[in-house]
Amino acid sequence: MAINSPPSIHHERPPLYRDVTVVKWVVQIVALLLTLGALWFLANQAGDNLRASNVPTDYDFLSVNPGIDLSSGIDTDPDTGGRALWVGMVNTLRMAIAGILVATILGVIVGLARLSNNWLLKKIGTVFVETLRNVPLLVQILFYGAVFASLDRVTAEVGPINGWLHISNKGLSMPRAHIADGFYQWVIVLLVGLVVANFLRKRRIAQQDVTGEETYPILSAFGLMVVVAVIGWFIHPIFGFIGGIFEALSALVSSIPETALQFVIGALCLGTSAYWIRGFLNSRRTPAGLAKLTDDDYFRMIFAAVGGVVGAFFFLVLWPGLSSWMINSTSDLFEVLGNKFGNGRSGRPLDVDLPNIVQTGKFPNYGPSGLNFSIGFAAVFFGVVFYTAAFIAEIVRGGILAVPKGQTEAAASLGLRRSTALRRVIIPQALRVMLPPLGNQYLNLTKNTSLAIAVGYSDIVQVGQTVYNQTGKTLPVVSIWMFFYLSCSLSISVIVNFFNVRMKIVER
Amino acid sequence: MQEEDPISVALKQEEDAAPNEAPRLSVLQWLRSNLFSNWANAILTLLGALAAFLMLRGVLNFVFSENREWVAVRTNLRALMTLSYPESQYVRVWVALGFVVGLAGLSAGIWSDWGGLPIRRLATWFMGIGGLIALCVVVREPSVLMDSEGKALSTLEGSLQRESFGAAMADRVDWWIAALVLFTVGAVLWSRYSSVQRRHVELPITSIVYVGIGIAILTLWVVPYGHYAFVDGTYIAESGTTVAFSTQMPWTVMWVLLGLGFLVGRFLRSSQYVGMSKTGSNLLWLICPFALFWVVLRDPALDYGHVMSTDLPMGLAFGLLGAGALWLLTRSDIGEAGRIAATLLLIFAIFNWVAAFFGWYPMLQKARISFLLLAFAALLAPNFIGDIAKRRQLVLGWVGVMALVHYLATMINTPSTVDLQSDEFLGGLGLTLFVAVIVVVLSFPLGVLLALGRTSKFPIFRMLSTSYIEIIRGVPLISVLIFFSVMVPLFLPDGMELAELAAVLTGYTLFSAAYLAENVRGGLQSITKGQYEAADAIGLTSAQRTGFIVLPQALTVSIPQLVGQVISSFKETSLLAIIGLFDFLRVANSVIPAQSEFMGVKREGILVVAMIYFFFNFIISKYSQRLERRVGLGER
Repeated sequence: MAINSPPSIHHERPPLYRDVTVVKWVVQIVALLLTLGALWFLANQAGDNLRASNVPTDYDFLSVNPGIDLSSGIDTDPDTGGRALWVGMVNTLRMAIAGILVATILGVIVGLARLSNNWLLKKIGTVFVETLRNVPLLVQILFYGAVFASLDRVTAEVGPINGWLHISNKGLSMPRAHIADGFYQWVIVLLVGLVVANFLRKRRIAQQDVTGEETYPILSAFGLMVVVAVIGWFIHPIFGFIGGIFEALSALVSSIPETALQFVIGALCLGTSAYWIRGFLNSRRTPAGLAKLTDDDYFRMIFAAVGGVVGAFFFLVLWPGLSSWMINSTSDLFEVLGNKFGNGRSGRPLDVDLPNIVQTGKFPNYGPSGLNFSIGFAAVFFGVVFYTAAFIAEIVRGGILAVPKGQTEAAASLGLRRSTALRRVIIPQALRVMLPPLGNQYLNLTKNTSLAIAVGYSDIVQVGQTVYNQTGKTLPVVSIWMFFYLSCSLSISVIVNFFNVRMKIVER
Repeated sequence: MQEEDPISVALKQEEDAAPNEAPRLSVLQWLRSNLFSNWANAILTLLGALAAFLMLRGVLNFVFSENREWVAVRTNLRALMTLSYPESQYVRVWVALGFVVGLAGLSAGIWSDWGGLPIRRLATWFMGIGGLIALCVVVREPSVLMDSEGKALSTLEGSLQRESFGAAMADRVDWWIAALVLFTVGAVLWSRYSSVQRRHVELPITSIVYVGIGIAILTLWVVPYGHYAFVDGTYIAESGTTVAFSTQMPWTVMWVLLGLGFLVGRFLRSSQYVGMSKTGSNLLWLICPFALFWVVLRDPALDYGHVMSTDLPMGLAFGLLGAGALWLLTRSDIGEAGRIAATLLLIFAIFNWVAAFFGWYPMLQKARISFLLLAFAALLAPNFIGDIAKRRQLVLGWVGVMALVHYLATMINTPSTVDLQSDEFLGGLGLTLFVAVIVVVLSFPLGVLLALGRTSKFPIFRMLSTSYIEIIRGVPLISVLIFFSVMVPLFLPDGMELAELAAVLTGYTLFSAAYLAENVRGGLQSITKGQYEAADAIGLTSAQRTGFIVLPQALTVSIPQLVGQVISSFKETSLLAIIGLFDFLRVANSVIPAQSEFMGVKREGILVVAMIYFFFNFIISKYSQRLERRVGLGER
């Protein structure tokens, strides 16, 4: 390829089938084509088989009443399949978030216990970790489920604190704090307060740096937040005008013509590949001008260009529905937000209901007003919390042990108090080591909530299974699962990476 | 090593830290320095003691409660192990187990060097266990009073009537005796070996373990554990007798086999064949899961006409013709033609599979597999060009592989003669272990390939393996398993079928391979650039560089993570219970509670399953820590 190179090198070029670059790229492209071909073939086959068995692969079931009852969730009698899956997703997320919070607290406590110089605490911590992490999670969940199922029958006097807290074979029922009218406006007030508090904190810190006096920046910012929250409790209705802004946005989005968006997407594809190629060429640029490009580089650029064109073609011609879906859903989102923030919502932001016990049929059961945790929820919750806490405890222990002892000694020699040394020297360094494996454990916990299917807690997998047993739409349901879990994993790793980058030592 | 995870390094250093020769403290001093060093510590100690007391009491009350029906588990032990494997053929299970036990003994004899255990340490264990038993006896709440018909007595308010504390202690006199005996033995040993000369007397750990197992097994002959079983569907419950002969005898034979294997292993170790026997025992371990499951347990009914007319000639043809072809391909003057021939062979082998999917021409599956293997062998052939010994290595290896593959394929294709009572041929713990072993064995090569793909310099391979790994790691195992057990039949063309177990195994393997690939990648990243450059400098091909330089080091580095992956694969086999296969968790969770004798008895079985899982995992993890220390990880 190179024009300037002496002809002697040109002369020694090996035959095509021995040329490293050619072979390398031919093999790769053949492998890619084989993979895509196999996937296409399998999908085709599945389509044929499904048509033959009269179960077309479509997403109609999302808007049809599935006729199923869910064991727990925000809506136990959903009127569409999509709503049912939504309830399942909310249940999964609820379990995952609660589990992550409690497992982290428990794991840190156990990890610190294993590090303490108290012999008894150390042993208790060791027994906890070794037992729980060596027994499969599913076995634990089934065991907790079986134990909870053998609790007393539910009655009005089941206790332990009648009217406030009930524990029985139907699960646990306790007072419920919930979002009431006006919550969203109150959140706006809080956000404004947050900005002001942050400003105050920075000023206090600056003041402290100048004068050397202790100005309690965090404490005063927190105090300000409390004051703002209390005031906002009474004045929040003034933010009702925000609803109008969102409604205007919704109208604006829905007025975008479909073809325009389509072309924007296509242009984005082409632009991305052009941008990449430009960046690539720039990276090969030497002060004297464009460096010699190898065959490998040409292949890369051609591949990027072809990828961009194929992507643009895909969005423009093969999948035009995407743009209308994007417009509609964005406009819908703003409309919903407009509703939430609209005028005329002047009630209290938050409210609390006490649990009650109702008897509609033969047996009494918990009424809807309290916060009810079913046996299934409790079993899965304790399962994932204990199991993950055992792993987190080891991560915490390892992270703290990974901080060299010299750091503690250096802090002591500077005259820092033990608590200050921990807060300012040890924990920041330990946290840096702990974050990546911790993020992995959070991911595992989220995925492990899918074992709820074994005890009948309505998470997304259990709801999905019920739905496809009713409708036979296995493939769409599985695709929704995959999409849901992949986005969960992605968001958790994005969050963890964000902190990871922030915590990194800035190296020279 | 640049990329090792700092957490495991820190934990390892902590474990490895040699226990200091602590100054001898009196009991009071020890208490003060370890439990009551200051007031905060004292409060923590008291709280911890309270928590430990409540936990222990809770566990004991649960386990020894009058409501527990441990009989359900004892009666169903056989179901938990093998589900409904027919009684008349049960000897096959024992043969399979005996093979594994003998092989374990052999390997222990060849490899193990567990060293000795100081008798004083043993004595402290005895004393500790004796003390623990005494503590448990005191902590457990008094038993419920029974009337003459064995019904629990309750007071007028409905709560259960319990005996007095003194009566409870008197009732548990046999436990007191056990505690006392253990403690006395420990104390006597301790005092007899306390002089300076005898303080370090040790017993070999292997014999302690062997004698311990032997004592446990021999009590089956003497101690009246009672005989509980379902024999041909009738429920037998005889308390006060020893267990059935059909339990005593096989276990005793197992114990003898273990010892014999160990002795043979020790003999081989001191003989000149030690290298060969190490290779041989490893090979046997690799083959035995397949052979035991498909040949011994399944008992295929061979159709000798078919064997003589098709299977044998085909195996011979592949073995001999393939050997001839490989002999030619390793000639030193083969040059370019060898690679071209290997590539053509590979294309032909892949084309066979494509043709199979579209049904263009029929071919036996094992012929397709053999062609693929032959193509791989041909691709490897240039590495074996050299003197006759080197060429013979490849050719003999090929013949061996072909003999094994064709033998197993013939066996697997032959219908079983075992009289099956359920769909699945094996259940219970047997199924769990089988799935775990097969998944580990099969996912290993796949995982290594994926790891190599993810770290390769080829962007498309990298992209493909990265997206595969990340997608699989992003979704829960249960959705992958459901996908494979429900969806795979949809993907197959007409006339092709896959048994549910096979579909599930595929799902498990593909899932596990993605995680394994990440572990291997960690190891690959720890190989320094110098290693690659050195390999290039002495003129190795890239296959040789990967196989002889990079992978051996990378795999050694990632041993701890690989063992961790083995443990989690084993734990994940519990998910078989959800997707409809009868592993032993499913037996405990739904088979036993459905029996009319033990309606709804669930917790006992699950607890036993948990203990079995714990036992295996704990041993593997402790062993991996020893292994890690032995290969000297983190010390270079």
